[in-house]
Amino acid sequence: MKPLILQGHERSITQIKYNREGDILISCAKDADANVWYSVNGERLGTLSGSKGTIWTIDIDWMTTRILTGHADGKLKMWDITNGTTLSDIPTFSNSAVRTCGFSYSANLAAYSNDDTMGMKCCLSVLDVRNADSTTSAEPVVKMQVTEQSGKITSLLWGNLDQYIITGHVRGDICTWDLRMGRELENISAHAKEPINDMQFSKDATMFITASKDNTAKLFTTHDRQLLKTYTTERPVNSAALSPILPHVVLGGGQEAREVTTTSTKVGKFDARLYHLIFEEEFARIKGHFGPINSLAFHPDGRSYASGGEDGFVRLHNFDQAYFDYTFDV
Amino acid sequence: MGKKNKNSDKEDRKYNADGSDEEDQNFSDEDGFVDDITDEELLGDLLAEKPKESDGVESVVIVDQLPVVEEARLAKLKQVINKLFQGYGKIVSTYYPQVEQEVEDDKGKRTVKMTKGYVFIEYDNPKSALAALEKNAHKLDKQHTLLVNLFTDFEKFANIPDEWEPPKKVDYKERPHLHHWLMEPDAYDQYSVLNQHNLCQVWLNSLPQPTLLQEKERWSDMFMVWSPLGTYLATFHMQGVQLWGGKNLERIEKFIQPGVHFIDFSPNEEYLVCFSPRVDSPNQQHLVMYDIRTGVKERSFSVEQHSMWPVFRWSKDDKFFAKIEPDKLSVYETPSFALLNKKSINITGIKDFDWSPTDNILAYWVEEDKNTPARVVLLEVPSRKELRTNNLFNVADCKIHWQKSGDYLCVKVDRYSKVKKEKGEVKYSSMYYNFEIFHMREKNIPVDSVEIKEPTHAFAWEPVGDKFAVIHGEPSNVSVSFYAVKTGQAPTLLRRLERKSANHLFWSPMGTYIVLAELRDTGTLEFVDTTDFTVMNAAEHHQATDVEWDPTGRYVISGVSLWKTKADTGYWLWSFQGKIIKRYNSPIFCQLRWRPRPTSLLSKDQVDKIKKSLKKYTPAFEAKDRQRMNKASKELIEKRRKLLTQFEELREKLRETYLAEKDERKQLRNYIDTDELEAGMEEELVEFVIKEEVTICE
Repeated sequence: MKPLILQGHERSITQIKYNREGDILISCAKDADANVWYSVNGERLGTLSGSKGTIWTIDIDWMTTRILTGHADGKLKMWDITNGTTLSDIPTFSNSAVRTCGFSYSANLAAYSNDDTMGMKCCLSVLDVRNADSTTSAEPVVKMQVTEQSGKITSLLWGNLDQYIITGHVRGDICTWDLRMGRELENISAHAKEPINDMQFSKDATMFITASKDNTAKLFTTHDRQLLKTYTTERPVNSAALSPILPHVVLGGGQEAREVTTTSTKVGKFDARLYHLIFEEEFARIKGHFGPINSLAFHPDGRSYASGGEDGFVRLHNFDQAYFDYTFDV
Repeated sequence: MGKKNKNSDKEDRKYNADGSDEEDQNFSDEDGFVDDITDEELLGDLLAEKPKESDGVESVVIVDQLPVVEEARLAKLKQVINKLFQGYGKIVSTYYPQVEQEVEDDKGKRTVKMTKGYVFIEYDNPKSALAALEKNAHKLDKQHTLLVNLFTDFEKFANIPDEWEPPKKVDYKERPHLHHWLMEPDAYDQYSVLNQHNLCQVWLNSLPQPTLLQEKERWSDMFMVWSPLGTYLATFHMQGVQLWGGKNLERIEKFIQPGVHFIDFSPNEEYLVCFSPRVDSPNQQHLVMYDIRTGVKERSFSVEQHSMWPVFRWSKDDKFFAKIEPDKLSVYETPSFALLNKKSINITGIKDFDWSPTDNILAYWVEEDKNTPARVVLLEVPSRKELRTNNLFNVADCKIHWQKSGDYLCVKVDRYSKVKKEKGEVKYSSMYYNFEIFHMREKNIPVDSVEIKEPTHAFAWEPVGDKFAVIHGEPSNVSVSFYAVKTGQAPTLLRRLERKSANHLFWSPMGTYIVLAELRDTGTLEFVDTTDFTVMNAAEHHQATDVEWDPTGRYVISGVSLWKTKADTGYWLWSFQGKIIKRYNSPIFCQLRWRPRPTSLLSKDQVDKIKKSLKKYTPAFEAKDRQRMNKASKELIEKRRKLLTQFEELREKLRETYLAEKDERKQLRNYIDTDELEAGMEEELVEFVIKEEVTICE
């Protein structure tokens, strides 16, 4: 089936996500707008505009009521998805870009991190977003500073039952933060000193997959961060997602944007790659983007996936029957 | 204190005479003093510098085995000797010892002064004397071979014990079985892989997976080179070169010569030529030839820094080797390592030469000079008979291509229609290209010519057989043409494949199959069967830098070397039909070399017989292949099963905790169960009016 191509951004896509049910797809890009789409037909529901500068990160709560966006100008915004209005401009007390953000499981809390530029230190902050619309009490509930060795946070996941947060770092570390104690619990070196570009949960959040510039994606258990599998490619991996229904993994990435101009698209290797979750074997490639893939997401029903690329397009791919018929000999 | 020697008395006196105020000091030995310190201990360093009889004679050499001549002919001899030895430095003096002898000849009995058959030559410095040793073993004429020795070595020779001591019997050291790799029952071939940081590997190209035979870090400091018949593997080191061979590639021999950058084996692996571009001491030579079996240095040459490698080219049987020099060709012979017939062959304007791969014939070409045309000459060695001369006009350049079986020689001639001279540089224009084909096996060696008007990019002979391929054409429209050479006929065009993207040709070592490759670009590889010129497969290995056939013509490797590009390095294995077998992507891959095989011991009839009865053998091989594949897939499936059970176990554990936490999860989400997608969803029926149609019924 021909993929749906969503053209709603003028510049590179930075992140895409489905809501819990999968009927809504949200995307953000370097052009300062975030878009909300119907996943079934690719129709645009609306645009969240009114900010300046790149939006690095986006998240949606489990009830599909609010959207959180993190901006390069240091702003964190909460939006009402029903009418596209800004619910709150949350002060981050920082000039540096908000790199990651995410609602907790209950969506009562949200976490975000800022870059370690403009003389700022990279911090992980947690907010109570139930009353974030009243501008008075927007102070973070917890604020924790990241160590120099790990470097800034480049990806973020809420741990089990809103008790802890897992962060991926620019120098390949995975850190775990205890919220009650307000400190770093554990720090493991996961990807050889290269940035962890993305982290995503499995359907039941018992495992998560990391995507790194070191050309690999890795699968870990959530509760004790035990390395289970490694998926190796020849190019930096920008994003990786786990199928909710099959033991499959989709990886996206490619040669870095600034090196692409000198080479043909073939060299860039911008295909999305499908790997078997357990055997770590690649079994399919999906062409499409003419630049690196920056973000990938599986539809919660596992029958389609979406990819957002450096080329500014979001592509919705529905899997054909051959994909479901394919099995590994065991 | 108290250390005194026999001179101390004298010193005592001297001090006193100087009016030293320590008059009452007594330096004389106490009674009963025994001097137990030797002179060597006290002033060994001074004694070492003590003048010896031989001092000042380091610059002297003794030349022995000269002809014995009488006074009258001495001047002539002196002249000859001077001429021979003045090249090494300034000769200060020579001395020919003479003795009076009674001789009887037609002039009657008389006394004449005869030389003693040797001469002392003194140079102005020891370096020249050292250099003059090169003339040792120089053949003056048939009877007289010169012996040149340093005068300082005299002591060495004088001290040879009178009684001959029989050399100790050395225990027989068993050499490893050098042809062990050929005993491989499945005839798998080996290849060496050189990686970054000098990680050196040797692989066996076994099915379905290659086997790593050996892996050593820093096995070689530079390259890994197989000898031409595959017997040895050479590695490069700071101190020299080492050869490895036998079952486990043990060390066979080492050749100590610092800073070797290039080596060359003689075709039959008898000799090794090593070249060091930089030398540390003046005594060391740049280029040295060794006997591989004994490890003995045979001869050294001083070669200019910027000579083309290989400096020497070997004849097919290791009997001769030759070097090109301005206006001459020097042919040397083995095992004497001396110039053939003691002199180089003067060929004014010689540009290039090459040996036939099967006969002691070499082809050279001479450039155009004003009124004389350029010419290609076939020269037989050692007879120096010119077998064939071919004159050519308007020649800009020539390339000599021997066919591997020595049946044909092709000289590619770049010719011009116009020539212009600009600022001392010669500029040719309106180029066209001739291929002069020499039929070596026919009487008088007839020559045919093929002309191509377009620029040519590559030429290659079929190693066995009588075809050759040429890539030609403007960059926008490149064609590959195949020609056949037949006895008594001009070469015929067999097929022209048009609009190809290829810049290199790689024939299978067994002929018939050829790979057309566009290297260092798209990496397009086309596998062509030249019996009917079908393209069996066209594939791509992006930015491929190398293509290498295995010695049997069964497999082809395409490689992307880290030496040439930075991204996507590795090597891919193809079948001769162009079917991809395996891709090895490795970020550290630099170079792959197949281990050559010696030529088959089977006669042509035997080979033909095997080819004819191939049907008889194939079932057995196919069965073996099937068995291997089954085994491999069985192993894979077993591996997968194991992974699957392991993973399932872990998942089960995770699942248990997950289910146990269900209540806590529900608590966080207002007691709504969101574990399954459908949970908490309410179905809502929405009706849209899509279209309203009004039909008026009559």
